[in-house]
Amino acid sequence: MSMMPAAPSGQPLIELVNLSKRFGEGANQVVAVKGVNMSLQKGEFVTLIGPSGSGKSTLFNMIAGLLPPDADGGIVFAGREQRHGELLGKVSFMPQRDLLLPWRTVLDNAIVALEVEGMRKKDARDKARALFAEFGLAGFEGKYPHELSGGMRQRVALMRTFLFERDLILLDEPFGALDALTRSLMQRWLLDIWAHHKRTVLFITHDIDEAIFMGDKVAVMSTRPGTIKYSENIDLPRPREAAVATTPAFSAIKKRLLAVVEEESLKSFEGSGK
Amino acid sequence: MTRKGLLKSIAAPLLLLLAWATIVPALAVPERYLPALGPILQNARAVSGELLASVAHTGWEAVLGFLLAIVFGVVWGILFAKVGWLERSLFPIFVALQTIPVVAFGAIVVIWFGNTLMAKVFISFFLAFFPIAVSTLHGMRMGDRQRIDLFRSFGASQAKVFRLVELPTALPAIMVGLKTGLSLALVGAIVGEWFGDTVGLGVMLLQALYVEDVLRVWVLIIATGLLGSLLYGLVSLCERKFVWWRIE
Repeated sequence: MSMMPAAPSGQPLIELVNLSKRFGEGANQVVAVKGVNMSLQKGEFVTLIGPSGSGKSTLFNMIAGLLPPDADGGIVFAGREQRHGELLGKVSFMPQRDLLLPWRTVLDNAIVALEVEGMRKKDARDKARALFAEFGLAGFEGKYPHELSGGMRQRVALMRTFLFERDLILLDEPFGALDALTRSLMQRWLLDIWAHHKRTVLFITHDIDEAIFMGDKVAVMSTRPGTIKYSENIDLPRPREAAVATTPAFSAIKKRLLAVVEEESLKSFEGSGK
Repeated sequence: MTRKGLLKSIAAPLLLLLAWATIVPALAVPERYLPALGPILQNARAVSGELLASVAHTGWEAVLGFLLAIVFGVVWGILFAKVGWLERSLFPIFVALQTIPVVAFGAIVVIWFGNTLMAKVFISFFLAFFPIAVSTLHGMRMGDRQRIDLFRSFGASQAKVFRLVELPTALPAIMVGLKTGLSLALVGAIVGEWFGDTVGLGVMLLQALYVEDVLRVWVLIIATGLLGSLLYGLVSLCERKFVWWRIE
């Protein structure tokens, strides 16, 4: 396949080029993701809105290196096209479920990625301990996952993700299971952490407010086949306070996004009625 | 275990013994059906030396067979889980072997090993192996695809995924297999002695049956039960200490 070489200046950290994924053959073929083009600059926070069944998870699994993209498209990471498997270990991936190990303490759960990398357990623990206060988990180092609330478990999973120090972080609906209040606290907290740690983030959500509040850029995915239907840069000033959601600028963006998302939701609603 | 929990778990056996000690003499149940506790204890005291030696002997055979079964059962369970064709081709053979009556099989084992300790250990191993292998296979299948994928995304090798995720996930299921395998290992040791030995609970049981010594048979039933409970308790203790988590 031919691909335009990335421009030397302002080269994106990651570029998805005509990324597609089809499952099955012939009449039973399901196109989960189709022709996604997208790029993330270093340090950017991009949010991705998609109705359920829009192939978001398939897209994430491809970016994490777990699933090979179809041959007519690909992923360029740090200026080099990635073959299947090459992205494993390069992207810090946080799935929807926290997936903490029930037999490990909070501290030892936080360091699993470092352990996989071969860091000595003692060094990894020291490194993790320094982050506990920032992640609101001070004093919980020795607890086990079943002793924590949902919000805390999610913070442990986020700490595990941040400790795996990679430029690109993939977050798949990290706050999806939390109540509204905890969620809004976690959103502001994550923005603080992001500003502090300077990582590039791709964040999936189905909450439009969350997408606008968090992102430098919002992209909307369509229902199957999943493709980027619309995207918009969010120029709201940072750091953002909760009150930003009541400004006219926020409302105007929300109105435009709602129109696109609603059209997509309706399509999937009608599609399922057939 | 808490004191209350301990009390609860020994309360029922104690009550049972009390009922045995009082109701049986009160109703004058014929000894042939159920002897009173007192004569049984007297009978046990009369052969206490031989009884203790037998418990140790049979217990040793069962423990050796059980340990062998753990090693081979867990290894085979993992191989079955990891190598598809191995499971498809060998698993049916293992199932078929399980249906062979141990009495028929025992004769062959004695021909192989002679009247040695190894013969009993082997029969004990043969009975305990299967449940351990099956529960290991079951435990390995419980590995969460998404959790394994997460570790792959960290760049973990297959070996690391196994050590950090799959094995700890399988351990609670393996412990269930160990508990089933343990009682079978004890049965195997006792039955193994029937093919010829001079000491052991199986030997004493066979002798008691020949002379219709009902009291002695009851002594042996209780001794075997105590030995089994002791070994089971040890395995449970290990589980509580090392494999306390549950897989949701």
